[in-house]
Amino acid sequence: MSLSPWLKSPFTDLTGAIVSHQWYGRCADLELQALDCLEAYGLDRGIKKCDLLLQDFTECSLRIKQMNRMFAMRNERHRQYFAGERSKEEKWAAGPKPDSY
Amino acid sequence: MTTKAEFKQDMPPPGGYKNIPYKRVPAKSFFGGWAIIGGYLGMTAGASYLYYLNCKAVKIRQLEMHSASLAIYPMLLAERDRAYLNQLRKNRDEETKLMANVEGWKTGTWYGEPIYHTVPKNTLIEPNYQEFYVHSSYNDFKYRAHLALLS
Repeated sequence: MSLSPWLKSPFTDLTGAIVSHQWYGRCADLELQALDCLEAYGLDRGIKKCDLLLQDFTECSLRIKQMNRMFAMRNERHRQYFAGERSKEEKWAAGPKPDSY
Repeated sequence: MTTKAEFKQDMPPPGGYKNIPYKRVPAKSFFGGWAIIGGYLGMTAGASYLYYLNCKAVKIRQLEMHSASLAIYPMLLAERDRAYLNQLRKNRDEETKLMANVEGWKTGTWYGEPIYHTVPKNTLIEPNYQEFYVHSSYNDFKYRAHLALLS
């Protein structure tokens, strides 16, 4: 998130992170909010003050929580099936219509 | 002793031999050169006219199909969006049913922790493809993923 390296040299300038979410759309707003917040408070205080914004931006770009939720639900379904709480026919719900995504 | 056989000289038939047929025998020609060229041009002209009629018909048909698909496009789009939202609702209900016995789980969150903290509560959090199919079997997932290959 923070793009400032701890040691700054012409080489780190050369290999700076120049690609941002402003080019990709989905997380552009969150990224801008987080960066605005960091700019307002500075790095040290900003990490504490902008914690939620930073978390949201991380989630938006990496989708860790969403993925974890998915894995948890899959695992729970498998667990129920192997524990015998769920029959083979009702292991999975009916699928969505093929054109709906 | 030896009787002298009656000798007869073999001679050409009266009137002489027939000529040796060495001359070329041309095939019977029904059309002359000008007739062939004229026929070619005439047939090409007729065929061109038929081709033009056909082209026009195809163009009109294509235009009709194109207009029709443009006309139903908004409806298809709306149907797709509706199916998408319906499935999101179904997924939510399925999640509630599935995770009812899991301690600390709240639907739409990661063990009670919201996915986004700062966005408004009624924001639609769009799932990605795997998440959209999380409650359905791999066959359904596969079918949609490879739909393009089937058509």
